[in-house]
Amino acid sequence: MTGQTKSPSLKLLDTAEKVSQGAEAKIYRVQLHPTPVCSSSAAAESGEVAEKVLLKYRFRKQYRHPSLDASLTKSRVAGEARALIRCLRSGVNVPGIRMVDAPEGILGIEWIDGKSVRFLLGGGAEGEEEIVEDATDEPEEGDLPPEEDQLQEYGISQDALMGMIGTEIAKMHQADIIHGDLTTSNMMLRHPSSRKGLQLVLIDFGLAYTSTLVEDKAVDLYVLERAFSSTHPQSEPLFAGVLKAYETRMGKDWAAISRRLDDVRLRGRKRSMVG
Amino acid sequence: MPGRVRKRSPLKAPERPYIALGLEGSANKLGAGIIKHSPDGSTEVLSNVRHTYITPPGEGFLPRDTAQHHREWALTVIKDAFAKAGVSLHDIDCICYTKGPGMGAPLTSVALVARILSLLYNKPLVGVNHCVGHIEMGRQVTGAQNPVVLYVSGGNTQVIAYSQQCYRIFGETLDIAVGNCLDRFARVINLSNDPSPGYNIEQEAKKGKRLLSLPYTTKGMDISLSGILTSTEAYTLDKRFRPHGPSAEDSEDADIITPQDLCFSLQETVFAMLVEITERAMAHIGSKEVLMVGGVGCNERLQEMMGVMARERGGNVFATDERFCIDNGIMIAQAGLLSFRMGFETPLTKSTCTQRFRTDQVHVAWRA
Repeated sequence: MTGQTKSPSLKLLDTAEKVSQGAEAKIYRVQLHPTPVCSSSAAAESGEVAEKVLLKYRFRKQYRHPSLDASLTKSRVAGEARALIRCLRSGVNVPGIRMVDAPEGILGIEWIDGKSVRFLLGGGAEGEEEIVEDATDEPEEGDLPPEEDQLQEYGISQDALMGMIGTEIAKMHQADIIHGDLTTSNMMLRHPSSRKGLQLVLIDFGLAYTSTLVEDKAVDLYVLERAFSSTHPQSEPLFAGVLKAYETRMGKDWAAISRRLDDVRLRGRKRSMVG
Repeated sequence: MPGRVRKRSPLKAPERPYIALGLEGSANKLGAGIIKHSPDGSTEVLSNVRHTYITPPGEGFLPRDTAQHHREWALTVIKDAFAKAGVSLHDIDCICYTKGPGMGAPLTSVALVARILSLLYNKPLVGVNHCVGHIEMGRQVTGAQNPVVLYVSGGNTQVIAYSQQCYRIFGETLDIAVGNCLDRFARVINLSNDPSPGYNIEQEAKKGKRLLSLPYTTKGMDISLSGILTSTEAYTLDKRFRPHGPSAEDSEDADIITPQDLCFSLQETVFAMLVEITERAMAHIGSKEVLMVGGVGCNERLQEMMGVMARERGGNVFATDERFCIDNGIMIAQAGLLSFRMGFETPLTKSTCTQRFRTDQVHVAWRA
């Protein structure tokens, strides 16, 4: 550790609370302006509370060559920030940007109060373990709780949720942004009690890029379809609901994407295994 | 907190010892292995014999010549396997052979041997998916329970995770396999094919110092390797390239590129991509175990990088040595015997081979 030359963003990270660790980055929660410097400031008078910010820290990957790691981290943080800005300009629901420090690999974005769609659909949290037992005659145990309970708190049906997902993806694709990693873990439902009300928010634009191609949009949808079937078994009717809303929002652009999506599905199956 | 879901294994403990012969010949290795499953649940490798078809430097193995090699060596290798195991063909329960994926001609020549033995000794045949063979043998040798599997070899590059009686492919190469990429580059710079081109690349890479910029092509969970191969090859046409190391007039810190630098850069870039997609799969399914199988899984640099990644996540890496990493007969016997114990047999009329046989097409009946 190079104590005295620590950058301000790394210092901020020290005060933050670690929430989770994904494949790419560690996620922290931090309060901006943790202690109000002067109590008579405008912010304090207007009753504004310190804003919660999510810090996404792409830590150094020790396994990668240092120079390769540095250039990848820098371009990915910048790329994610760029994609978020584009989405915000086009009115897609994504977290707002609070700070970007590409060389250090830190991105600060708005904290969203809510739950991931994966959790709300009863797909469990990321990181659920399975244990295998030897064949015995013990009865089955540990059934999952019914999934409807989790959605009730948000006052929304599964079908309506699927509609919101489809619409949001369509808005993003209309802005020519390709998410690159659409899964139910990468969508959050903002809690109705929060300031902006109930909203579906797309998160994690680490693999996003811009493209006008029908191909890229179709592959984006295909990735989500695969994610649905792997994390939520028997979810075909759910995904059909997503596509329905997507179709409505996309209008005349849908026909081409739909045709290409059919092609992409076939491609996955026929793809040869041999080099 | 991660929840825990309990499941029961459908595979019953065997009521008597089971012995299986496995025959493998999907690429340039011909292997015969004999495995024994005992009633106490233990598994014993009775023998594991392999013969590799090695081509001169600068050449790959062609299907026809490889098939010829397998035909010439089949009887020697199988006899050797039985002699080492101390059992006879009458003692075994089934004959397992590689159904695919692989090169057509070598596959069919080995399947023919399996069919003849099956008819001669009246033993049932079991067709096995080569990739599933790798996974099952890796699980058996390392004791990994539910790992994310990175299967990297000359013909395959896949990140695999088990779910609902199927080995699902989370990510894979969109064009050539990683072993193919390394082997072909070894041929470009004329490295020897003995013991394997990939091994020689690894040794050369240890002497490389300079990381040259190459494309870094991960696409979600998938990777693409053909462009990297082309870019690396392009460096050999660069005027800074010195095929035989620094020449007399090059100064100490001259701006030159050696074959060692290229091997180093190629390995660093490609392996970083592999580790990255493996890490993504681990985060997605919440597993802390990684199992590396396939010929490239022997590469110590890849094992080291994977180890660093796994430790960062609080997990560990399971890797096997060359006996089980590189194609072998015992893995076919292991996977075949598991499905045989679940009641699966391949009737003679269906004992065909296929070059295209995806890992996720196999019904994994023996796992919960």
